[in-house]
Order: sequence, then structure tokens, then C-alpha cells
Amino acid sequence: MSDNKKWFSLNLNSAKKESSGSCSCGKTSGGCGSHAKSQISDEEFDNAVDTAIGDERKRDGFDQVFDVQMDRRTAFRKLTASLLIGAGAVSTSCSITTGEESKEKAQIDWEEQFKGNYKLMTNDEKKGTVDRLVRSYQLRTGKTISMTSENAEEDVLFGYAFNISKCQGYMDCVSACVEENNQDRNSQMQYIRIHEMKDGEGFKFDEADDNYYHEVPAEGHFYMGTQCFHCDNPPCVEVCPVQATWREDDGLVVIDYDWCVGCRYCMAACPYDGRRFNWSTPEVPEKEINKNQHYLGNRMRKKGVMEKCTFCVQRSRKGQNPACVDACPTGARIFGNLLDPNSTIRWVLENKKVFRLKEDLGTEPKFWYFMD
Amino acid sequence: MTNYCSTYILSYLLLFMILFVSCKQNEDKYHSLTDKIKDKSNPYHGTSIHSEKYLEDMDLIEITEGEHTFLIPERKGKIKSYACIECHSKPLDQMQNSVDSKKAHWDIKVMHANSNTMNCTTCHNGKDMNTLTSLTGNKIDFNRSYQLCSQCHTNQFEDWKGGAHGKKIAGWVPPRASMTCVNCHNPHKPSFEKRWPARFNTQTVKERKEELEH
Repeated sequence: MSDNKKWFSLNLNSAKKESSGSCSCGKTSGGCGSHAKSQISDEEFDNAVDTAIGDERKRDGFDQVFDVQMDRRTAFRKLTASLLIGAGAVSTSCSITTGEESKEKAQIDWEEQFKGNYKLMTNDEKKGTVDRLVRSYQLRTGKTISMTSENAEEDVLFGYAFNISKCQGYMDCVSACVEENNQDRNSQMQYIRIHEMKDGEGFKFDEADDNYYHEVPAEGHFYMGTQCFHCDNPPCVEVCPVQATWREDDGLVVIDYDWCVGCRYCMAACPYDGRRFNWSTPEVPEKEINKNQHYLGNRMRKKGVMEKCTFCVQRSRKGQNPACVDACPTGARIFGNLLDPNSTIRWVLENKKVFRLKEDLGTEPKFWYFMD
Repeated sequence: MTNYCSTYILSYLLLFMILFVSCKQNEDKYHSLTDKIKDKSNPYHGTSIHSEKYLEDMDLIEITEGEHTFLIPERKGKIKSYACIECHSKPLDQMQNSVDSKKAHWDIKVMHANSNTMNCTTCHNGKDMNTLTSLTGNKIDFNRSYQLCSQCHTNQFEDWKGGAHGKKIAGWVPPRASMTCVNCHNPHKPSFEKRWPARFNTQTVKERKEELEH
């Protein structure tokens, strides 16, 4: 691991070194696979680097990665390795002996690898990537999914209202959301949080319990839900360094899971705890997978990317209510088109006393709370 | 001297223009979301999608209350022993006293307001069981039972008409379809019951424990 040390260790001035002879896998004898015979020992390497670059060792980050000095041997080794990988990829896709299916897989993977940002795609390109993803899933699992790439409808701006007096804390919405959006069952990822708060104390999120398990509604408590508020001025979008998240024309704040680099800036920028990160590869049992998917919605995610509530884009752009609204047994959740003067959401905004969380931040959430 | 002065003025003008242009670019067209909604929904052209296909299999009836027109589920077809007069062939007082008639509705106990306010006859007419009866003795159809509820629950009725109370059916696009009162509330025992939540996140519990230990 000694030749990788430059990239991984950030505590630059600490002189602490691993004793030579042990490696990162913890074994003191025998190989862990990464130690080739030709490799030089840690001390020799350190000395060599010190004589070669001296003080420059203390640089970090971008400079260190791109402006690195290496000896001829390391350079040749790295070149050979990358050439071999490249040749392998070419031979798989061009060989006559490999099957048609694996060729097609390789072709799909190649095109998927080099596709652009979904935000910048034309409709044909969107259809192209959706078709590839559907075909890829078919080749890998033998199952057919239906994925769409519907764009925002004109004259639509989605809004949501939540009745605090109606919510009883049954969490049917959470359950429906997990099933609808193919969320990881292993880490029990959930987009919606239902906070159990004490009567008479107002909103105290630090004292609220969002993972209660007793009969509800509990005496002396009230319930309120939070999720992504689809802000009209979303801070998460501002901070994304790769523009993998953006606001669609119908007001939905969405993520291109294939463009996200997993830096979690958006998670830090969101004042409402609306975003979730996949710390592990999401796993959903095959028979529980919701096969009605949207590219920006509930399609299968990867490890290391962000995800969040999309107001069930795969449902809402077809005219249906999000799964949480459909599942709520108390009618506490109201969803609709803010631009339609006859919609129920507009009636709520105009006739009930509504408020939003942290309105002073200027994020303009499209998620209102109200009481009977 | 004049040359110097004009350069001075020119540079100020340039600076002003740059400031003006750059400010204009950053300025949002709307001051607030509410302004934006108001402006953009006038005129509203409607959407190309409709919810009819989600409502196809449902038996719905259209109602108009005040300025609101929407669909609610049909009710009579859902009552297992409708028409009521199949059994209630005689007025109720005669049936109750007869020895040979079967016992019925023994499981219904009115837990709705108190006995001073409500009993069976507040809503049912013993002499005409096929319809409901208003407080003033007018007939109310089973399909429009909300008219019965709205006699006392006026606030809820207003909210329901507007769409703040009650669950919507299928989708957000027109035509609007809403559940009616009795689809969620049992009229004889209208309050919601306590029960266990649908989901429990054991992972969160584990993480919190680990956090406390560290």
C-alpha cells in the first residue's frame, strides 16, 4: 500500500508510520495480495521520495494528485496496468468468441459510462439512456421493468400541504414510500420522518422522537412529518459541484443518480434534513421491486449517491398522488398543482392558516403546514 | 483638463452600467413564491393529463355543494343489506316488540356524542328505513350522507368541500374525487382508534445506541 499512501493520508505532518512488514489488511506474515515481490519497502520508498521531491510532500489535494512526481518504475507499472484494463475492455466488446449478450452488455456499459448529464439531454438522449437501463436490467436479471423519462408538464407547479391536527403517527406513509421508491431494505432508508412532539412545547426537533414504537396517537403528543420540501430556491442545488441535482420546471428538485459524485454537500446545505445518502449498496428483494420507474425517481440507485423524496415523480407526472398521500388513512396529506386556481392545494393555501418551516431562510419550500 | 474630466465621467458611467447589468442578472423576477404562483396561474391553461383512467373502476357520483363540484364514492351499493326495507317491512316499533323477528344490528352501539345529543333516530327514520332523516325530518339519501354530518360538523364540512379535510382518490389532476365522511369514519363510532405504527426502523435504534456509546 506504500505507493498509495500519498493519496489517502491527509495528516501530512504526523510522522507515525506503520511498521514495515505489516500491511493494511492486518496480517504480519504472508501476503494480502497487494504486496508484489518487486515492491520496495516503506522506508526505502520514503527516502526515495524525500530525496526526489523534498518539501513538496507536504502539499495536499489537487496539486498532489495531478502534479505528482514518480520514478520511472512506478510510472511504467501504472501505464501497463491501465493498458491491460483498456485492452481487456476492447477485447470483450470486439471479440468474435464472446456471446452476443455479453457484447451487448459491454456496449451498454460503455455508452452509459460516457453519457452526459440528464439535465442537458435532449428527449431522444433521455429515451436512449432509459432504454439502455431497461435492457441492461433485462440482460442481468431476466426481468423486465418499465422506466419512463416524462418531462415536466406545462402549467404545473407541485405543492404539498400537511395537516398537523390530522396526523396520528400511524406511519403508513413511511411504509408506502419505502415500497414505492425501492429504498434500501438493509439500511432501512426512509425519506419521510414523522416526529412525535410533546403537546404545548411547539416544534422542538431535537427533543422530538422520529422513531417511536408504541400505540399511537400517544397521550399528550402530536405528530408532524418532514421530507424533501422541494424548495423553490433550493440551497442543495446551489452547492452541488457537478450539477447532479436541479429544480425541474414543475418545481420538483431531482437528482441524476448517475451524475452524482457523492460529496454530500447538498446533504449539508439542506436546512430540513431532506436528503439521504447511500452508505451501502441498496438492496431490495427482487419480488418487492416496484417495476414502474422513472429515471429521476425510484429506479435502482448505487452505493455512494444521494437520494431523496421526489414527490414520487413516476406517479405525480402521470397525474397520480404520491404514495404517501395515497397511503395516509387520515387525509392529513394534500398534494396538487399550485398553478390550478381550482385545485384543493390552492384552496388550502387561500383558506387555512398555513406556515412553512424556517421561512426566514428564503428557501421557499413548496410544503406547507396547517391546522384544522 | 477637459480630457481628464471626460475620462473620469466615462469610467464612472461604465462602472454604473456594469453594476446595473450584473444586478439585473441576479435579480429574481418574483419577490416571493406566492407572487410567482399568482402570476403564473393567470391565465391557467389546464394540463394535458387527466385522472379519469384512475377512476374508471370506481363507482362514483358527482355532487355540487356551493361552488365546488366533485366526485364521491357511491354508497348504497356498498351497504350489504340494502335496501333496508327488505327486512324493515314494518315500522320499527312494531318489529322491536314482535317475538318471531330475528335479532339484528346487535353489534352496533352508538359512540357518537352523548345520549342527550344523539340516538338512532337522530339519523334514522324508524318508519322509513331506506333513507336517512335530517334534524328537521327531511329525507336524506344514503348516497348523500354527508348532508347529515354537516348539520353539526359545519367546519369540517367547509374544509371537506374545499379539499382541506378528507382523503382524495387517485390523483391531483381533474376531475377531483374525494372520499365522503363515511368512507373514513364509522358513523356509529366516528373517532379514529389507537394502533401500532406501520413501521419501525431498527437500524436507527442501533445507530443511536452506537452514538451514545461513543
